[in-house]
Amino acid sequence: MASLLKQQDQDDKSKDLEPVRAGGASEPAKKAIAGKDQISPFASVKLSVFLMCLMALTILIGAGVPQESQGGQEKVFEVFGPQVAEWLVRLGISDIYHSPWFLALTATLTLNMIVVSFQRVFPKLRLLKNSLPFFRGQDILKLPIHHSLTLAKADESTALIADLSVGLTKLGYKVKAEGSKLKGEYGVVGRLAPSVTHVGLLTLLLGITITSWTGFTGFQPVLLDEKLNFKDSQHSKLWVGSLPKWQVRVDGTRRENYSSGQAKQWFSNLSVVDDQGKVLHQGEISVNNPLTYENVDIYQSSWGLAKVAVSFNGHVRQLDLRPMGEKYACFLPLDQDTVLIMSLASEGKSLRVFAKRREWQAPKLISEIQTGKSIKLGDVDVVFEKAIPVTGLQYKRDPGLPVTYLAFGIIMIGVLLAAVPHRHVWVALEGSELYLGGTSRKAKVGFERSMENLVEKLKSSFTLHEQTPIEEGEQADV
Amino acid sequence: MSDFQLYLTNTAGLSSVASFWVFVASNGTKRFQGITLKVANGVMLLGFVALTVAIITRGIEAQRFPLANLYESLLWFAWATMGGFLYLCRSYGIQQLGWLASLLAATMFLYGSWLPQSQHDISPLVPALVSYWRQIHVPPLIVSYAMFFLAGLSGLLNLWQAGRLRSLAYCVGTIIAASSAIGLGTFSKVDTVWLQLLFVLSSVVGPFLAFASLKVQDAAIEQSKSAKKAAEMYDDVGYRCVAIGFPLLTIGIITGGLWANHAWGSYWSWDPKESMALVTWLSYAAYIHLRIQRDLSAEKLSIVSVIGLLLTLLTYLGFNSLGFGGLHSYGKFK
Ligand code: HEM
Repeated sequence: MASLLKQQDQDDKSKDLEPVRAGGASEPAKKAIAGKDQISPFASVKLSVFLMCLMALTILIGAGVPQESQGGQEKVFEVFGPQVAEWLVRLGISDIYHSPWFLALTATLTLNMIVVSFQRVFPKLRLLKNSLPFFRGQDILKLPIHHSLTLAKADESTALIADLSVGLTKLGYKVKAEGSKLKGEYGVVGRLAPSVTHVGLLTLLLGITITSWTGFTGFQPVLLDEKLNFKDSQHSKLWVGSLPKWQVRVDGTRRENYSSGQAKQWFSNLSVVDDQGKVLHQGEISVNNPLTYENVDIYQSSWGLAKVAVSFNGHVRQLDLRPMGEKYACFLPLDQDTVLIMSLASEGKSLRVFAKRREWQAPKLISEIQTGKSIKLGDVDVVFEKAIPVTGLQYKRDPGLPVTYLAFGIIMIGVLLAAVPHRHVWVALEGSELYLGGTSRKAKVGFERSMENLVEKLKSSFTLHEQTPIEEGEQADV
Repeated sequence: MSDFQLYLTNTAGLSSVASFWVFVASNGTKRFQGITLKVANGVMLLGFVALTVAIITRGIEAQRFPLANLYESLLWFAWATMGGFLYLCRSYGIQQLGWLASLLAATMFLYGSWLPQSQHDISPLVPALVSYWRQIHVPPLIVSYAMFFLAGLSGLLNLWQAGRLRSLAYCVGTIIAASSAIGLGTFSKVDTVWLQLLFVLSSVVGPFLAFASLKVQDAAIEQSKSAKKAAEMYDDVGYRCVAIGFPLLTIGIITGGLWANHAWGSYWSWDPKESMALVTWLSYAAYIHLRIQRDLSAEKLSIVSVIGLLLTLLTYLGFNSLGFGGLHSYGKFK
């Protein structure tokens, strides 16, 4: 019996199976069952725990130190100053997710997981088919949780076993009976958790690999009426994909505000055009609502006013705008001491013109011009032609996505299954002695309580009294 | 914010404070312990119900899912802490966790109430947050954080019942130091570099000292069978919390990825907050594998769960309040 239980619970090195093992198989026999000798050194869970901790530490550092891939290298220098920043860059810490260290760690962890999954996790699925035998009273007493009771009236025995069978079924056990013996199993799906989760993780790796070998991604700010091409897209070195021949034209783009003036939503009207300029597809996108054409997704990811077109005495000039909080502005130095400032709200409908001299505390508002209108500044005729918006478009083709999503689903199911405790109970009525016991790998206290409740219920319906409570002595003070 | 809602939130906050004191008081009397504990549980339940209604009415008032800024997420956190404890209490009858859970909820209420008014006001959403994904992504995360906190607190109780008082003291000290760093980071003008240092140093040194002093055991407690049994129970409770929190964290991270992919076209972008959630996830994956492996004693695992608590704290509140930055601005208000 010990060996059978051992087989079901290979990794249960101690604690709950201790009493069973005490009367159980010899050391070599156990080794043979667990088969640890044939397992490669890469299949050590200790190694994986160590690697997971290293990985966690690496990502922790990556989260704490600004990354070049996000804020650019300037950000690193800005935060740490030139001396420290240089070291961070040299050591790869400021781009840690692309460092050889991180890649090597990922590779080792992957290898470790593949080996462990195939050598230790999946083989256990076979054990699910082996069903455990019925136990005798002596065996039940060796279980980590057990009760033994004496039945005073012998004629109650059939009813008692029937009652127990019903009670266990109500608790969710699948109960089997053989004469006056019962065995029950609960939460066998919990046993699937490791296999399902690890299958999911391996599927995830597959999906990511497919994507990085055949997909691409990128970001391009596009001015109104201009086109998105895929020239600057990023993809991995091992890439086997191709970039689209078509381009995406921005026909319109706007921002919708809350009444307070904060941005509520950004929109862009896009046309997919081929190299002859023929429109292949059209659509409007906004944040959270992308456009998809030939498996390429195009996302609205940012928005702003890029330029303002102003004509000075008939000469049109496009001035670059800088975002200033909720507004946009450009600065035109007129002479050593004077700067002309033009500022626009996000609607881009009216242009406010300020002047700032060195001796002034704050800029002075000179005028406000509506689109198409003009003002006279000295002998210069200034016309506000229009504001030119820019829309930030993120795009990508991700061929591995269905696999990745499948993996997400499997992982979620796997980890949910891991919360289900797998439990066994055995009952044997021998003469007037009733033995009841079981094991639970997880949520042991809950199991113990449920067994105690079951015994209490039995005591109230039958003439039973307990002989050896599980733990003699004081009641737990909790 | 309407008066009704304010009233409900205050009721919840006050009842968490009240239940704390009643739980504490229950230790003072052996004779009335049963009844005091019932009262404490009742008070907690009252707070839980009030908070549930408060969150729902807030959602109705705002006409959106009421989980969009730090204040609202704190309300959810307190809600999950209270709910989690009430659930555990029903199946385990673990009363000592009660005062810790109450204290945790009360701290979150207090932290929330000190936030500037703009956080309490119902404010419109920035473009990125206007999505039904928000209600799928965030609640599992907040609830998982609460479960991890409860697991860490059970770890403390395990150390207590196992007589590892010195290790316990180091763990408690660490948690206090780390939380102070976060409190100061949120409400004071102290330079964040010092606070980052305080958080990181205490989180490294504290658990290290706790591990190192596991050998020191209180003799009286060592002898006590009931303490041994209680220690085993807290160990089990801690594992249970992680077993519930881990799938929730997994779901939260994955749905976040789905949302990001839907909104921005990439499910992972190494944003600091995202990365921190992954760090926490990996740490609890390590914890779970350590459990399966059973090489570590319950006491060591308890310290690991305290480390988990610190990482959760860093993920949830630390990254924004200690000035590490990131795109997930809902945790930020400065
Ligand atoms: C990287 C290398 C990894 C290795 C070598 C590894 C190894 C193992 C082993 C040996 C088991 C025990 C199987 C059993 O008891 O039947 C297990 C279970 C499990 N693993 Fe992993 N694992 C790895 C990564 C992960 C990761 C990243 C996750 C994240 C979700 C994970 C999730 C799980 C879960 C949920 C279980 C089941 C736990 C339970 O039954 O309570 N594993 N793993």
